[in-house]
Amino acid sequence: MCLGIPGKVVELRDDNGLAMGVVDFGGVRRDCCLAYVQDEVALGDYVIVHVGFAISRVDEAEARRTFEVLKEMGETADLDWLKEVADDSLAPGRGAA
Amino acid sequence: MTSIAQGLVCPAPIVTNDRVQLGHGSGGKMSAAIVAERFWPRLQNAALGQFADASVVAVGTSEIAVSTDTFVVQPIEFPGGNIGSLAVHGTLNDIAMMGARPICLTAGFVLEEGLSFEILDRVIDEMARASREAGVPVVAGDTKVVGRGSADGLYINTTGIGVLEGALRPSPARARAGDAIIVSGQIARHGMAVMAQREGLAFESAITSDSACLVPLVEKLRELGADVHVMRDPTRGGVASALNEIAQASNVGVEIDEGALPVPDDVRAACEMLGLDPLYVANEGVLVAFVEKTVAARALQLLRSHPLGAGAVQIGRVIAEHPKLVALRTGYGGTRVVDMLPGDQLPRIC
Amino acid sequence: MKFLSEYRDAHIARALIDRIKDESTRPWALMEVCGGQTHTIVRQGLDELLDGAIEMIHGPGCPVCVTPLEQIDKALAIAARPEVLFTSFGDMLRVPGSDCDLQQVRARGGDVRIVYSPLDALEFARRAPDKEVVFFAVGFETTAPANAMAVWRARELGVKNFSVLVSHVTVPPAITAIMEAPDNRVQGFLAAGHVCAVMGWTEYEPLAAKYDIPIVVTGFEPVDILEGILMAVRQLESGRHEVENQYVRSVRREGTPAARVTVDSVFELGDRKWRGIGEIPMSGLRLREEFAAYDAERKFGVADLTVEEPVECRAGDVLTGRLKPPKCAMFGTRCTPEHPLGALMVSAEGACAAYYHIGKYRAPEAAGVAS
Repeated sequence: MCLGIPGKVVELRDDNGLAMGVVDFGGVRRDCCLAYVQDEVALGDYVIVHVGFAISRVDEAEARRTFEVLKEMGETADLDWLKEVADDSLAPGRGAA
Repeated sequence: MTSIAQGLVCPAPIVTNDRVQLGHGSGGKMSAAIVAERFWPRLQNAALGQFADASVVAVGTSEIAVSTDTFVVQPIEFPGGNIGSLAVHGTLNDIAMMGARPICLTAGFVLEEGLSFEILDRVIDEMARASREAGVPVVAGDTKVVGRGSADGLYINTTGIGVLEGALRPSPARARAGDAIIVSGQIARHGMAVMAQREGLAFESAITSDSACLVPLVEKLRELGADVHVMRDPTRGGVASALNEIAQASNVGVEIDEGALPVPDDVRAACEMLGLDPLYVANEGVLVAFVEKTVAARALQLLRSHPLGAGAVQIGRVIAEHPKLVALRTGYGGTRVVDMLPGDQLPRIC
Repeated sequence: MKFLSEYRDAHIARALIDRIKDESTRPWALMEVCGGQTHTIVRQGLDELLDGAIEMIHGPGCPVCVTPLEQIDKALAIAARPEVLFTSFGDMLRVPGSDCDLQQVRARGGDVRIVYSPLDALEFARRAPDKEVVFFAVGFETTAPANAMAVWRARELGVKNFSVLVSHVTVPPAITAIMEAPDNRVQGFLAAGHVCAVMGWTEYEPLAAKYDIPIVVTGFEPVDILEGILMAVRQLESGRHEVENQYVRSVRREGTPAARVTVDSVFELGDRKWRGIGEIPMSGLRLREEFAAYDAERKFGVADLTVEEPVECRAGDVLTGRLKPPKCAMFGTRCTPEHPLGALMVSAEGACAAYYHIGKYRAPEAAGVAS
């Protein structure tokens, strides 16, 4: 119910008492309200943005730690099923979209 | 105060659709329905019944392709062009998708009272540039003015005429099982470039419209002749709608691979933000081609030899299974149907 | 995109699927509450890839789907007024009310506009002082902080021509309602990641204890959902019933306290009808009395409008997992995406819309779709 995507805080400002900023989502930028995370967020941090509001800060350390575990799991995965779905005539795939 | 006991929700809700809605112009099912139910029964004729990008009409021993399109894009100026260049490219592309060589254009303008000459001149300049670059002159025109509040600034209608030559005779009904489905470049740029400026949804980005004349790419493919079965420029409704229309017209199944779809990173990010699927977003400088399997590699080579086609890739194939349906294979080996949307794709919060 | 694309990795997804299959001794029935999670599961065919190892029951997690019929009718009545500029999130525009939807109100002359953020709606109000701007404040706890801020800000800036039509629902009472239903089959939940990013997960601890069910706070990408499922399966296999957090990168136990402060200042809990399900006590948010001036229902005199839900649309049964969409008699016949009977066929996250497409592809006869 919550289309929230992670983005990087690239600008901070005060809009007449309201903490606002610019968040960069992979090359696309939008003005967002940072009022709810202003005490814990600095330039360069990542936040989850839902309808123009940062609703939480992304904990990069936690993300890295838990992703390492997942990555290892993935490296030993059986890849035969991937070969079944690949098609030789296609240009090199980008992986899952 | 008011109490409504039993609404008209069941068993038949909202069937008394007695007026035009925005969705009727979206390129989805509602667009098809309004043509099939209101226009076709009243205007029927063989040429119109081709339901292709342009209609083919015999003139003596020649065959000409005729297409008309009306441009109502908002805002009228956007990164990568304006309504003037769009109006030229759009109609030239419809002619070119039939394999025809465009020879001339007409342009009809509906101007809103109060539109600044500065803006109008920029639009005409872009139209002139696009026409010059394509080598196709605007040979007839018309101008009307309507009261303040109508026409959102300006609307343009363009009609194009082209001549069919040689063996290149693509048609939406000619797709065959085994055909390779190729797209000439990155998708979803135009729709997102326009959306970036749209009040209420605006965002900052470097996304530019891909609006371009596709005639040079079609000329590259001409050597493949009859092996080019279908060509279409996926404008409103996106690649998904175009594939559905072709699957319907040819009565074949279509299968595409999600991982093969060429979407620029920033377009993908913008789609993620608004909850939109790039497959349904408009393109103005990309063509989809269905070619005989044996010439697929050559087709890619030919397209890639032109700057406009540098990013050409195969995105899928035509299959005999599930005729009239378009299916997408995910990166995980799962599948889902890519249906035609009823109307416009809506940004979501979920 | 960082912190997004990595969680779509096919190798990791495959590894997780294999482990789920290996470690589950029976087909546990799990419910994902969030529409965004349903969207991912159905679009990426994750339930298909799990191949019967686990049964995923789709929950009532789409705020568009559960907005009660009468709130839609109130929206339509307000939007039709000439002095009103009605703003809304995009996905609400096609939800059918009793006799039309917002897109048709627009066709008949209503000023209806899509916005991405409630602050955009407030901006419209500031720029068009001669219009009464109304925002359709729909959503779960994830969206409440944004909607609350719009109202708070309107009052702070003295904007008088702005009001909100509120239709907020909260998740924990829905879980209770589902677990209390006599025919309930759900054995574990994937809690909505972004609801918990705001609220934290303390509200779910008593639920896990009371009903002996594992609740795993889960994200929205395929790897997140599969990892959440694996964590739930491991709990079920070992007889544990706890709240665990899969979505560690975005969720902390205490959530985002500053967001809740504003929500609590602007809204209070109240009873709320859920479309297709009926009333769930204390499951909704409404404006506090001191913000009455921003309540569109009062401003436009529609507060007393009540509507009976129709009998035929079985949205409620689908929303609570009792009914799979293809088994509904209306599915694919009288209720299709072109003329939907209920919100689940309209919304991109709606289980019915999702099944309609998948069913058409796999086996039209089996899915009950009239071809």
